[in-house]
Amino acid sequence: MPLIKRWIEIFGAIDFISVGMLLSVVAMSSAKRIESCLKAYVINSWLLALLMAAFAVYLSIPHLYAAAFFTIAGKCVLIPYFLRKIIRDLKVTREVEPYLSMPVSLIISFGLVVLVYSFLASGIFVAGVARNVLKISVSIILISLFTMMNRKKAVTQVMGLLFMENGLFLAGFSLTYGMPTIIELGVLFDMMMGVMILGVFLTQIKKSFVSVDLDKLTSLKG
Amino acid sequence: MLLISLAFFISGAVFFAFAPKKGLHYFYLLYAAGAGLAAFSFAQALYNYAYSAAGAPALSFALQISPALSMGFKSGPLQDFFGLLLSLAAFAASVYSSGYMKGTAAPRFQGIFYGLFILSMGAVFLAADALSFLISWEAMSLVSYFLVVSDTESEAAQNAGLTYATMTHIGTAFIIGAFMLAFSATGSLDFTGMAAGLAGQSMTIKSVIFILSFIGFGMKAGIVPLHIWLPKAHPAAPSNVSALMSGVMIKAGIYGIMLMCLHVLGGPGAHYATWWGVVVLATGAASSVLGVLYALMEKDLKRLLAYSSVENIGIILLGTGAAIVFYSFGQTALAGLALAAALYHTMNHAMFKGLLFLGSGSVLHGAHSKNLEDMGGLLKRMPYTGLFFLAGSVAICALPPFNGFVSEWLTFQALILGSSTPLAYSKVITLLGGAALALTGALAAAAFVKAFGVAFLGLPRSPKARDAKEAGLPVTAALGFLAAMCLLLGVAPRIMLRLISAMPFAGLKEMGSAGPLHSPLIIAGGFSGFWPAAILVSMLLGLLIILALAGTWGRNRKITYANSWDCGIRALTPRMQYTATAFTKPLRVIFKTIYRPRKEVRISFKLKPLFVSGITYQSGITPFLENYLYRPLTSFVGKAALKIRHLQSGSLPLYLGYIMLTLIGLLMAWA
Repeated sequence: MPLIKRWIEIFGAIDFISVGMLLSVVAMSSAKRIESCLKAYVINSWLLALLMAAFAVYLSIPHLYAAAFFTIAGKCVLIPYFLRKIIRDLKVTREVEPYLSMPVSLIISFGLVVLVYSFLASGIFVAGVARNVLKISVSIILISLFTMMNRKKAVTQVMGLLFMENGLFLAGFSLTYGMPTIIELGVLFDMMMGVMILGVFLTQIKKSFVSVDLDKLTSLKG
Repeated sequence: MLLISLAFFISGAVFFAFAPKKGLHYFYLLYAAGAGLAAFSFAQALYNYAYSAAGAPALSFALQISPALSMGFKSGPLQDFFGLLLSLAAFAASVYSSGYMKGTAAPRFQGIFYGLFILSMGAVFLAADALSFLISWEAMSLVSYFLVVSDTESEAAQNAGLTYATMTHIGTAFIIGAFMLAFSATGSLDFTGMAAGLAGQSMTIKSVIFILSFIGFGMKAGIVPLHIWLPKAHPAAPSNVSALMSGVMIKAGIYGIMLMCLHVLGGPGAHYATWWGVVVLATGAASSVLGVLYALMEKDLKRLLAYSSVENIGIILLGTGAAIVFYSFGQTALAGLALAAALYHTMNHAMFKGLLFLGSGSVLHGAHSKNLEDMGGLLKRMPYTGLFFLAGSVAICALPPFNGFVSEWLTFQALILGSSTPLAYSKVITLLGGAALALTGALAAAAFVKAFGVAFLGLPRSPKARDAKEAGLPVTAALGFLAAMCLLLGVAPRIMLRLISAMPFAGLKEMGSAGPLHSPLIIAGGFSGFWPAAILVSMLLGLLIILALAGTWGRNRKITYANSWDCGIRALTPRMQYTATAFTKPLRVIFKTIYRPRKEVRISFKLKPLFVSGITYQSGITPFLENYLYRPLTSFVGKAALKIRHLQSGSLPLYLGYIMLTLIGLLMAWA
């Protein structure tokens, strides 16, 4: 164990893994196909779980192992499974149909990261192991929000929401070094329920509007 | 004891929800039992405060939500007084409902909400901190809103409900503002803590809190010019509810004003600004005069009563304002007199306005109309309702031996004694308040002569009025109870004054002392006084003498029965009678600057100019405030809302964009 601890320190594993998460979000925001988005999400969740495990080793907090395990079970296996099922059942086309082109969304994502880094350059959370994690997690949240804005299809909106939740989770456990297990479990469970409800919801939207294109929702306005 | 009464209310509501629909109205008696118990325990608590050195609160209860936040309900003398007022009125209204609410359109809904309405008002009066107060206050507003719109068929009721809901929420916004300001200045949500914390604060903060709470609570009390919801909403509710709304709910506004002005802002060692009192006094004067002027012109009986509530709120505020003026000069004895007058009138108004609204419900039940011009001759058909309505009218016109006289007399004395204040302008303003009160009294008498005369005397103006019948024993019993209360408070004012003297406000203690209950009432060290018991006795004696004279002199005379005043026309018809509109014509002419009466004659011809096919005549008064203040305001708000509507495009990405901009903004603000 002490050996692994040293390795984590030497290689800056915590920073590496969180940057990996950021990159996967950027990849999602500029992906062209829904399957790629889903793959990015799986990668993102694996990295999140890995980061938790790294924290658990580095700071010797045993209950973070459990959190990492549940993250793998929920976010890497079950949620992607449900999402695949929803996508298959809804028979949506494979393209994500963004409003803005890929290069433009890349530039905007870059701009958001710059914005976050410049405004969070100083503050109370810039010391300790997790000194970069907060900035990264806020960037993840903002980029996923931007992606939600940018996409026409409801399925990709759900994906953006899931990424955002990953970002929040990252911020949460890196600042508090592990929330109580019961809360982490609760959040995971909420996520599962959320995805299932959204699945039903999307099917309904599809039924009433013949498409999951969110532009059609404007006709609901009174 | 209060908990048992609470249990009665809750079980009543449960029965209304689940019991079979037949005979549902009898469950109002559960509410009556609860209210009766509550009245008893509040009266006992007040009695203890007044007569024993250490009175115990009737209720004290706190719920700790978080270390910094708790919700409490605690009764004190002021709370008990308003609780007593509520439970007496609720008792009468509940007994009345058990007869009156037979076969209404939505018995379950009205029954449940009626109970909740009483409970929420009780919670408002007993709340010990801003949080529980606001929650109870909103509950009261919402429940009463649902009761106003419970007549789902009538479009007028829906409109009234909308006006009411809008106004009351604007009022609540002001109240929240006042509480938040007080909280940020003192760090305490608890009213006692607020009072202690505000004692050392600057006058500016206190004045802002005063203005905010006066507007907020005044909205609920129905002060001019914030009263326009009142004559719409109160008549729209069923009569038992309008009695509670007019008798008790608007008193919640008065309670709030007294709580904020006298308790929170006027804590120990506090200094009042004279202009607060002057503002309250001037508003009171305007409310009383304008309220009664509009009441006079009203043909709808319940709207007339609602406008008269505006007037009475004005009278209460005249007393309250005078008290604040006196406190600001340190004249505590006079302040006690003025405050006692205000509190006394608060109680009185709950009794006689409750009586009149319940009576109007009985009339509505008999004559099937709220319009005075459809009534007439009801006294012969509904003798008990007529008698008790007459008692209520006499009380509200402030004639002895009923209770209105005592409180208005006290208010008068306080306002006249305002000439002993040191500043010229306070002297003038209190005396002007007295003049306004005098005018109000006279006009109120005219209004109620009209209401009683047109409704109960003469010949019936519609077939339905001709077939009117009493609404049954519970209804008349409730009216009789309130009429008896009016008489009791009129002949034995010392009972109420002693209970009032239990309040912890400077100068009130003296009001309750000295003399047995039937002794004359002498104030301000012999400045003036009267003897209520003697008035009653001399009135009874006078009546006896008249009867005796009639008996001795009239015994051997022949009695002839004939149509009165038929001027030789043998067949009198109802159309020949004085109408409500005609009765008030002289006053409409005198006050035409305020009323701006308009009339319109439209003649349609078959062949001009000689062959007329029909003439229509319309007359009415111009609702001054609505036309010149509220209409421009609402049209402005409407236009602004249409502009803002563009933000609501319905596009999801745009909404997400708003969230994102907010987040980035917060990030920038935080960094």
